[in-house]
This record gives sequence, structure tokens and C-alpha cells, in this order.
Amino acid sequence: MKKKKRLLVVEDEKNLCLLYREELTKEGYKVTTVSDAETALSLIKKQPFDLIITDIRMPVKNGIELITQIMALRKDIPIIINTAYQSYKHDFMTWAADAYIVKSASLDELKSKVRELIG
Amino acid sequence: MIERYHPFLHQFPPGASKELQIFSILAQSFFQPFSLMDNLLVILTALTAGSGLGFNRAMLLLADGDVLKGEFWLGPASPEEASSIWEVLSTPGIGYTEIIEHNRNLVASEANPLVQQVKKISFPLFEENPTIPALAASSREIIVVRDAFREPLVDRQFLDILKADEFLCIPLLSQDEIFGEIILDNAITRLPIQSRDIELASICGLAAGNYIYVTKLQKRVIEMKKQAALGEMAMFVTHQLRTPLVTIGGFIDQLLDPKTNAAKKKRNLRIIRSEIARLERIMLRLTRFFRIDIKEKVPVNIQEVFKLITESLKYRLAGRRIVLKTEVQPGLTSILAEPVHLAEALRNVVENALDALADGGHVFLRAYRENKDWAVISVEDNGRGIPESIKGKIFDTFVSTKEKGIGLGLAYVKRFMEACQGKIVVDSQEGKGTTFKLYFRSGGWE
Repeated sequence: MKKKKRLLVVEDEKNLCLLYREELTKEGYKVTTVSDAETALSLIKKQPFDLIITDIRMPVKNGIELITQIMALRKDIPIIINTAYQSYKHDFMTWAADAYIVKSASLDELKSKVRELIG
Repeated sequence: MIERYHPFLHQFPPGASKELQIFSILAQSFFQPFSLMDNLLVILTALTAGSGLGFNRAMLLLADGDVLKGEFWLGPASPEEASSIWEVLSTPGIGYTEIIEHNRNLVASEANPLVQQVKKISFPLFEENPTIPALAASSREIIVVRDAFREPLVDRQFLDILKADEFLCIPLLSQDEIFGEIILDNAITRLPIQSRDIELASICGLAAGNYIYVTKLQKRVIEMKKQAALGEMAMFVTHQLRTPLVTIGGFIDQLLDPKTNAAKKKRNLRIIRSEIARLERIMLRLTRFFRIDIKEKVPVNIQEVFKLITESLKYRLAGRRIVLKTEVQPGLTSILAEPVHLAEALRNVVENALDALADGGHVFLRAYRENKDWAVISVEDNGRGIPESIKGKIFDTFVSTKEKGIGLGLAYVKRFMEACQGKIVVDSQEGKGTTFKLYFRSGGWE
């Protein structure tokens, strides 16, 4: 059997973490969720991930800072920004991500983007 | 050696040239608060005052959409009135200020026959074959009409009102807009209109056009600011509502999936219910924020408010090493306020204080008189303090340092205090703590 691809979801909303974990697990991925950027960074240093999904507005350190630091650590990890805000599209640092998704009640776009990026 | 002049008070001697006289009258508009109608009145004064251009009468027409409408008309209504007014105005000691004041009263008077007549004037602009007066504005040209009663281009109704056989039409313009027109005549003295009068009047017309242009720009800027604020507001509400809606939608999709088991369905319903409660809280806070309208202040018992707040925040103290103390100065029993808003505003401040205490500390609520003018409610904590970088912004709408902060709390407190004619003073030191003092006006307590 093929090894499951590993996703890291950075999301400070507890209920959304649960939803993403369940739904992406159903899609056949091994999903880890964390609620802040610092924990995400320390995990990325220790474990290999195939894709990272991150929110932008989070306490302490926001998703944009997180992306910058991930890029410095490992340039090759695909990153999906998943946020409630359209406006960060104008922030050029978000261009470094592989996809920008505005949170929606349907997870179809997120799922198909993950599929497209890592299969 | 130096010579000094007051930049706004040039008053050239009566013998000075007409150009200088006009400039000095126009300068009047600089040292009064900017009001469009007043400034236009100053220009009409420059055109009609004996020391200015000396036209007998000046009529102002303003464009209102596609129509040119009479606004005011300055000058004597008859030769008899003319001689008496001109006599008064030539009295020594009468300066521009007095003349402008006189003219202001003249155009404001309902009994003035010129005022009554000018209000009847209305001509469509931009017609295929406009008549005079609309022709000057429509074609953006200065027009001098001589022998008006024989000139077919002049509108007869207009001539019936004007009753002058020679007059000058000055359009009021900017590069791309038509604002109106000034009509000048010498109906009483019957002096012919000279070419120099036309040139100087056209400069006055440019100044008037410029005033109107600036006023319109100002209005546009205010409108844009309002729209920007509204746009920001709409964005903010959208974002606030998006997270709970996304969560609800996602868990409903799971409910609709036949493979979802009963236990999970129940859990999802619980999550959905809590997210709906969150939506309600957001909406409640928004409505409260936009509806601070204090109609009537009533005496509010401070002890009771303090009790209410400590009770409602008990759950936040559970398991934390936080002491919440209250103290009311003897003799100070109540303040005049709106009780619901007062409790809500105070709860906001106390909640902030609790948030500032990470590992424990104290919050001290006090009410006391500061002097005969003010009753103060203060909220003191020894928490982390307000970072220097956001001290100036804490009362701004949508500014928050908290992870789930909407940024309405202190903005709401500020609006409430403004509605009470009170004030807020904040004293905060990073690492040491913060004290908020809410000042209520005297008479606000007994």
C-alpha cells in the first residue's frame, strides 16, 4: 500500500481544526492540526510534511510570518493559505504560497487543491 | 528696516485702481470661516460696490443639475432706493466689512423685491438652442448684451424680470464643469459696460467658480471618507460572520453524509449550536455598538452595578489567582447614566483588565468623587499593560490585540462616554498595569 501523504493544518479555530482533520483524513491523508504558528514551526523542523495548510489571522504569529519562516527552512513544501480574508491576496508575501483559498462552507475547493498539489 | 502689513486686512485707499479695490474686497473672504454662499456674496459685493467695479446690480444663478436657477440678486430695487443706499454706503468709516454685512441682510430679506423675483428664474442648460442667460453658461462664454429688447437671443421672460437693455453674463466654470452664471447690469445709472469692466468681472467669475469647485471637492472628500468607512464596516462584518458560517456549513455537510454515525451527528449538532450562539453574540455586540443613543439618564446605583459585573465575570475568575475588589466612596451612591450601557461599558473595561492578567493579579474597581465636577469609576489592574505601539489606537474601531478580538470593546466604551458627556483617562505602563478612569459629569451624581 502506498504511504499516506502527511498534511499539517495550522488553524486557531478549534472546531475548524476538527473539521479539517476529519474531512482530509477521509480523503486519505495523514492529518496533523496545530493551533499556532510556533508549534507548527517546531513540528516542521522535526517531521517531514508533504503539504501545509495555514490560516493567516492567528494569535501571536500570523500565517504570513509563518510562510516566510517555512520558506527559510524548507523551500519545497507546498503551502495553501486558507483564510477568511480576501484582502491578504494583496500582500505580496502570500504570493509565495502555492494556493490562496478563501474559507468557505464547502471544503471542495480545499480538497481539490490538496489533490492537485500532492495527489 | 522692515515694514509690516496684515495679510488679510488690505484696504486700499479709494483712489487706488479698480483692480486693487477688487482684490482687497475678495481678500475679505479669506478671514471669515469658509462658507460658499458668504464668499459668493463677497464676490458680488466686489462687483457692485462703488469702490469695486461699481455695477448697479449683480444676479447669481447656480446650476442645479441641468437647470440654471436664480440664487440671489444684489442691488437697489429702484432709483430712489439706489440713491439712499449709495448715500449710506459712501458715509466715511463704512468699509468692506460693513458693506458685505449690509449686502448679507439685503439678500436674506424676504421683503426685498429683487430676492422675490430672482427665485422665479429657472432656465434649462444644454438645450439645443439655448437663450440668454443659459447661453453663456452652456457655451462657456462671456456674453455682453446691448440693446437687449431688440436681441432675439435674449429670453423675454428673463428680460421682463431684468428690465435692463444692457447687461453682462459671466459663466462660473471649472475645467470640466459648469456651476452657474453672474448677470451684471447698470439698470439705474445706465452707464455703458466698458471692456475693462468685462475683463475684471471675468476674473471675479473665475474666483467664484473656484469657490464652488473647492466646495464641491470638499463634499466629495467627505462622501468618499464615509464610503470608505462603510466599506471597512461591511468587510469587517463579513469576516466576523465567515468563520462561524464556514464551521456550521462544514459540519452540516458531514450530517448529510449517510456514513456519519449517530454519535458524530450529535456532536456536530452541538458544535453547530455553539457556532450559532457565537453568531448571535457577534450580532448583539454589533447592534449594541451602533445603537448608543442615550435618551434619558437615570440614577444608577454604583454598588449594584459593581455587584452585577463581579457576578457576571465570576466564571472567568474560576481557577485563576485573581482578586477582584470593589470599593465605593462613602456618600457617593449613584451616578446618572443609562444603566444597561453603563454595565456593558464597564464590563468591557473589566474584561480587558482580566485579559491583561495572565498568571494572576488584582483588578480593583473603585468609584469616587474627584472634585465638584466629576464622579469617577476607575478600573485598575496590575497586568501586562498596554504596549507603547498601540497606546494611541486603543479606542479605534476594529483594533484588537486579542486573538478573537473584534476591536469593538473600547470603541464602544468611548462612544458610551461621549454619549454621557463624560471622558476617559488611561494610564498604563508596560509590565506594571493599567488604570482606566471613566469620568461622569457633575450632576451625574448625588
